[in-house]
Amino acid sequence: MSLTRVIERLLQLIPVLLGVSLIVFIMMAFTPGDPVDIMIGDQNVSAEQEAAMRRDLGLDRPIHERYVIFLGNAVQGDFGQSFYHRRPVSEVIVERLPATIELTLVALLIALFTSIPLGVIAAIKKNSWIDRSATVFSLLGVSLPGFWFGILLLMVFAVHFNLLPVSGRISYSNQVEPITHFLLIDTLLRGRLDAFWEALKHILLPAITLGLPMTAILTRVTRTSMLEVLRQDYVTFAEAKGLSRRKVMFRHALKNALIPTVSVAAIETGSLLGGNMIVETVFGWPGLGRLVVESIFVRNYPLVQAAVLFYAVTYVMLNFTADILYTKLNPRVKL
Amino acid sequence: MTMFKKAIATSAMLLMTAGASLSAQELRIGFSRDADTLDPANHRNRETQTIIRNIYDGILTRDSSMNIHAEIAESYRQVSPTEYDFVIRQGITFHDGSELTVEDVKFTLERLFKEGAMGNGQTSPRASLLGPMESVEILDDNTLRVHLSEPWPLLPAMLPFQEVVSKAFVERVGTSGMASQVNGAGPFKLVRWNRGESVIMERFDDYYGGAAGIPPVETACVERVIFQVIPESASRVAALLSGDVHIISELPTFSVNQVRNNPNTDVMTVNGTRSFFIAMNNESDLFSDLKVRQAVAHAINKDLIVDRILDGYATSIDGILSPDAFGKNHDLPTYDYDPAKARALLAEAGYPDGIEVTMDVEGAFRDTAEAIASLLTNAGIRTRVAVSEGAILTQKWRTQGGEKSGDLYFSSWGNGSLDPHDIFVPTHRTNDRGNSAGYANPRVDELLDAGAAELDVERRAAIYREAEAIAAADVPYVYLWVPQDIYGVSNRVSGWSPSPDSRINLHNACLN
Repeated sequence: MSLTRVIERLLQLIPVLLGVSLIVFIMMAFTPGDPVDIMIGDQNVSAEQEAAMRRDLGLDRPIHERYVIFLGNAVQGDFGQSFYHRRPVSEVIVERLPATIELTLVALLIALFTSIPLGVIAAIKKNSWIDRSATVFSLLGVSLPGFWFGILLLMVFAVHFNLLPVSGRISYSNQVEPITHFLLIDTLLRGRLDAFWEALKHILLPAITLGLPMTAILTRVTRTSMLEVLRQDYVTFAEAKGLSRRKVMFRHALKNALIPTVSVAAIETGSLLGGNMIVETVFGWPGLGRLVVESIFVRNYPLVQAAVLFYAVTYVMLNFTADILYTKLNPRVKL
Repeated sequence: MTMFKKAIATSAMLLMTAGASLSAQELRIGFSRDADTLDPANHRNRETQTIIRNIYDGILTRDSSMNIHAEIAESYRQVSPTEYDFVIRQGITFHDGSELTVEDVKFTLERLFKEGAMGNGQTSPRASLLGPMESVEILDDNTLRVHLSEPWPLLPAMLPFQEVVSKAFVERVGTSGMASQVNGAGPFKLVRWNRGESVIMERFDDYYGGAAGIPPVETACVERVIFQVIPESASRVAALLSGDVHIISELPTFSVNQVRNNPNTDVMTVNGTRSFFIAMNNESDLFSDLKVRQAVAHAINKDLIVDRILDGYATSIDGILSPDAFGKNHDLPTYDYDPAKARALLAEAGYPDGIEVTMDVEGAFRDTAEAIASLLTNAGIRTRVAVSEGAILTQKWRTQGGEKSGDLYFSSWGNGSLDPHDIFVPTHRTNDRGNSAGYANPRVDELLDAGAAELDVERRAAIYREAEAIAAADVPYVYLWVPQDIYGVSNRVSGWSPSPDSRINLHNACLN
C-alpha cells in the first residue's frame, strides 16, 4: 500500500467521524429522558434550582447551538465535562481505556491460540469426532449469551472450586505502581511475579467469556478456509512431490488458509469492544464498556458522545489494519 | 518433648492468630456502583454518598434507626423559625492533622448552597438539598448560625446528607483536585481509588470517635475497608459466597435462600424508604371517575404479591408514607382485595363489561407488573403491560402540568430522609415533579404547604395525617408496599446493621 493511499484512507476518517458525531448527538438529544431530571431523582426541588442545574450543564441552549459548541471544542480535543464525574470526559475515558484494551487483547490471544489449531485439526481430520466436537463448540460459542456464560464460569471456578476471583483486576495487596497501566505488563516490569500471577487469575474468566464467540467464529472460518486450500492443486502437487505432510500443511496450506482468519479477526476485534459492555458488568471489570452503559442510562451526553466517537475511530482503524494485513499476506490483492 | 510440643503448638497458634488478625483487618464490600467523584459537594448520587460518608463526617448524622444525632456539631437548636445554631465540637482533626474549625463548617455550607461557589461559575448540584439556606454567620469560636430565607423544618433531616470539608485543603487543591483527593474528618482515610474497580480506605487513628449519641465513640474497628465495585447482582452473590467480599448490597430476592443456606453467610434486611404505587392518570376520562379508581384498588391482592413475588420482603401500605415515616397516619382505610366489588364499582361507573387499559412499567419490575395485570384482568380491568426504560417513562408521566397520556403506571418514589415533605409534596401536590397521577386537590396542597412551614412537631404531624387521609379517600394512586433493603452478610461481620437510608456506615463494623 502506497503512502498516498494510507493518507487518503486516513482522510476518509474525517467525514466518517463528522457523520458519527452528528448521528450520536441527535440520537442522544432526541432520546426521551432528561439528565437533570435523572440527577435530581426523587428530591423535592424548586423550578429555579432545576433551571440553574440545567444552565450549569449547558442544557439550556438550543440543540443546534449545543452541537456547534460540541464540535468546535471536540476539534481542539475538548469533549466537555462529564455530567456525573464533573471532570473532562477525555480524562474519564482515558483512565478506563487500559483495562478495556488489556482485556480485549487477552481475549483476542485466547481466541487466536485456540481457534487456529482447532480449526486446522478439524479440517485435516474432517468428519472425525474432533471435527464434530469443534462444530458443536462453535455453535455453542456463538449462541451462549455472554452474561450467562460468565456467571456460569463464576459459579464453577470462583464459588465452587474457589480457584479464581470474582471481580476486579488485582487484589489490593498485590497492587504495583503503574508504568503502562497494563497490569500484566506492569507487574512483570516491576519484577513482581506473584502480582503477575494474581493479575492473570483476575483476567482469565472475563477474557474467556469475552473471547468465546470470537473463538467460535474463527474456528469455523479457519476450518472452512483450510478445507478449501487443501483441495487446491498446489497442495496435491506438493504432496505428489513427496514433501512430508507436516511441511505441506504448515508451509504451503496454512499460510494461505489463514488469510481470511486474519481479516475476520481484525474486524471481530471491533465487536470485542462492544462485547466488553456485558463482560465488564458481570466481572466488575473497570473498563470503558461499563462506563458507557452506565452513562447511557443516566443520559450523560458528553461521555456517550466521546466514547462512541472513540469506538468509531477504533473500528475504522481496525478495518484499515485488516486491509493492510490482507495485502501483506496476499500480495495479489492491491488496494 | 511435651515442652517442645507445647512450644510448637503455641507458636502455631500464634502464627494462626497472627494470620487471622492480619486478614481480619480488611473488610470488603461488594457494591453495585463506583463513586462518581470523592468531592462531597459535587455529585448527585446515592452510591457516591455511601462511599464518601465513610471518609467524611457530617455536621449531623443518623443512626441505623434513622434518629438524628449531632456528629461534628456538639449540639444544635432552633433559635427562630428561620435560624438554627450549631455548636461545633472542639478537638476534631482532619486526616492531614489540621484542626477542624467553625470556619471549615461555614465554608462547607457556603460551598454547597451559594451560587457559583464551586469555581468556574458552577454551583454545587447539591444546592437544592439545602432548601432555602441563605447565609451562615459565625457567632464565636465554636458556634455558627444558619439563616434560612423561609421556615424549613426539614433542615436537621437534610444535614446528614452533607459532609464537612477543610477550607484550606479545598483552597489548595481546587474543585478539580477534590474529585480524587480527600482530606476528611471521617473514620477512614482514602488510600487509593482504582476508578471503576475499588475504593480503598484505612482506619484514621486520630478519629474523634463520631457522634456522641452512637456508641462506641472510638476509632473504627477494622484496619482497612475496600468498596469493591460489582455491578451485576449474580456476581455480587458469587463474591459473597466465595468469601471475596463480606457485605453485599441489593441482594436479589431469588438469591436470598442461597445466601441463607450457605453456612458462612446470612441475610440482613431493613425497611427501605421507597414507596411503590400504581399511578392512575387522574386527568383521563376513565380514571377521573373515583369509582374506577376504587375498582382498581379493590382488584389488587397486595398480600399475595408481597408473599409470592417479593418473598415477603416488603410491607403493605395504604398511603404514600412508609410506616416508619414521620407524620404517618396509621388509621387509613384499607381497600380489601375484592374482585366482585371491583366489577360492581365498574358497572356503577358505566362499564358493565369492564375496561381495557395499559400499564407502563420499567423492565426491572416486569414480573410484578404482570402479576398485578392478571389480578386486574380477573376483576374486569383487562390490562396489558408495556415495558419501557425508566428515563422515558418519567418523562411521559411526570409532566408537571403538561398533557398526560397513558392509563396506569407502576412506579415508586424514594424518601431517604423519611420526612413527608420529600415524598408527599412531589407525588401529591398539584403539578409537582413526581405527581405522575396528575392528582389535584386544593385542600391537600394547602396542607402540604402548611406542613412545610409548621415548626411545632405535633401540629406538623397532624397536618400530614390529615393530608394522607384525604389522599387515601381520593385514591389517585393505588398504594402498594415499601420493599425491604436486603443485604448479604458474612458471618464474620459484627457490629454492623443496615440503615433504612441505604447508607453503609462501617465505623463500628468488625471482622472476626
